[in-house]
Amino acid sequence: MKRLEEGRTLLERLEQASDGRNIDPTRGALVGEAAGQEVKDLARANPVPTLLTTLPSRSGPAEAAPSYYGVPAIKAPVWRPSIPTYFYVGGFAGAASALGAAAELLGGHRLESLGRRCRWLGLAGNLAGAALLTQDLGRPARFLNMLRVFRPTSPMNMGAWILSASGALNTVAVAGTVLGGRGGSLEKLGGVAAVAAGMLGLPLAGYTAVLLSNTAVPVWQGARRTLPFLFISSGVASAASLLQMLPEHSRVARRVVRRFGVIGKLGELASGVAVEHELSRTEALSRHLKQGRAGRLWNMARLCTATSLVLDLLPGQRRWKQLTSSGLGTVGALAARQAIYAAGKASSKDPHATFVPQRHGLGAAEVTRHSRASDGKPLKLALPVIA
Amino acid sequence: MGRKGFFTDTTVCIGCKACEVACKQWNQLPDDGLHFTGMSYDQTGDLGASTWRHVAFVERPLPFPGQKTGVGDFSWLMMSDVCKHCQRAGCLEACPTGAIVKTEFDTVYVQPDVCNGCGYCVVACPFGVIDRREDDGRAWKCTLCYDRLGEGMTPACAKACPTESIVYGDLDTLTERAEQRVRKLHTLGVTDAYLYGADAESQPGTGGLNAFFLLVDKPEVYNLPPDPVVPTMKQPAAWASVALAALGTAAVALGVVLLERGGRT
Repeated sequence: MKRLEEGRTLLERLEQASDGRNIDPTRGALVGEAAGQEVKDLARANPVPTLLTTLPSRSGPAEAAPSYYGVPAIKAPVWRPSIPTYFYVGGFAGAASALGAAAELLGGHRLESLGRRCRWLGLAGNLAGAALLTQDLGRPARFLNMLRVFRPTSPMNMGAWILSASGALNTVAVAGTVLGGRGGSLEKLGGVAAVAAGMLGLPLAGYTAVLLSNTAVPVWQGARRTLPFLFISSGVASAASLLQMLPEHSRVARRVVRRFGVIGKLGELASGVAVEHELSRTEALSRHLKQGRAGRLWNMARLCTATSLVLDLLPGQRRWKQLTSSGLGTVGALAARQAIYAAGKASSKDPHATFVPQRHGLGAAEVTRHSRASDGKPLKLALPVIA
Repeated sequence: MGRKGFFTDTTVCIGCKACEVACKQWNQLPDDGLHFTGMSYDQTGDLGASTWRHVAFVERPLPFPGQKTGVGDFSWLMMSDVCKHCQRAGCLEACPTGAIVKTEFDTVYVQPDVCNGCGYCVVACPFGVIDRREDDGRAWKCTLCYDRLGEGMTPACAKACPTESIVYGDLDTLTERAEQRVRKLHTLGVTDAYLYGADAESQPGTGGLNAFFLLVDKPEVYNLPPDPVVPTMKQPAAWASVALAALGTAAVALGVVLLERGGRT
């Protein structure tokens, strides 16, 4: 074909000008159901597929664990890394608000400064969280559509409401400390708002685990009972780590934060073991938290959190030690969320992670207790179902 | 009105892909590129934001009951896959904006003017149907030709199907027809034939599919899950854990503060 200017062939030029519909707008109206589907870059939207991950002879009907050429059975999550980062941010914001509320309720004037820091940390997390979530939307301008319905079946909708309410309450709480005079009505209102934000903080730190487990992604769905414990305790650990990083002169507040963090890290390590245990019901699930990027991130998270915990428990309160511990605690909490995210993503690309657990009674049968798969074959239950 | 759906009889599918083409043309979907996948005659790969019908081609190293081939033990399985329009739809129950709705035809529809592209439906679908188009930003899937249904017309894919492998109609009529077909296949010796997702009894995890299938091999072979579940069914367990962990954390927060109440400064 004759090369035209810019070194492109006529066909290439035509393809580039096209929106992939091949409809001449002067002759045909774009009114179909998908006519509004925007096409910016056809080549990027339709990448060359990776050729066959599984040999046809090794994936077909004759195999014990068949699949369709190894093609994933479900869609992989389309979220960017900002979403697992938000899980961390929402976690520390929620846990900080909870600690702030406790300080407000029972701390007295000696923990006033800690309460203030918690309010600020909660608000900062709420704002950063909203920004991270909005940034990931395909249509960021429509963020507020999240609040046009109240839908308890959708953890993301519940989360949008919790985050919005928490942000509003923390704003009032911070305004109370900044603008309110001592003993004034604005200060009192701020105190009430801080307590309310603390009560919302706990579901804020935990709902993200429900959000993940309420999907068809095998690893996330398979860890639904333990994931909330991991996310909330990790939120506690990360809030304590951030509070430890800030210079704090009150020894009382330092002790409170350290104990909060120690319990959070203990919980994080214990619930990590629980997550591994819950996934160990089938190897098709557990392997995705052990191998590849997810496995490396998970091991790193465990190591960082454990080291941070040891540093916290060693005697002596030198500043460098506190800073190292809080740095490690932060990295550990961030890596734990990224690891869970990566493990889920890897499992969504593996058709056997979807098929094998379902054949073994970990699909709908777990809830509805039926004994046969959709093709009428009996499920291969590992243990007898106790009626 | 009434409950509408598809019955896809895979035993009469000839793999012509007329449904794929008709769907693309009617809905004015952009193309998916011209790529070679290496998966038999399937160059489409899977369902997605701009692929609402997908014909799967399975090369079976087994004979089809009652058929003889000149090349030894071999048979074709072809299946035109589509959004299942589940009775309990994972995408709909997960959608945080209410963009995904049930229509008057009992089908599942995504309203493009409401969807904000959060991507939650993509992972909530147990069949891997709905997807977000990155350059558009929103989630898209089969509408069961909502615009045609409103005019009393048959969806484009069913209309184009030359062998009536895709049949559109009222769910009750379709189920009856499908059961008859299974019985007939059984008498012809195709004893493996069964209906996938025809009702809530055979597929309690979805409450039955408005677009159900007649298959002759394991669902996995066609890339269908053997025991799909709408994720929402398992949600209460996760919230229970959140409640427990939240109570624990509240106790810890109050406890660490209380410990210092009588302590030194």
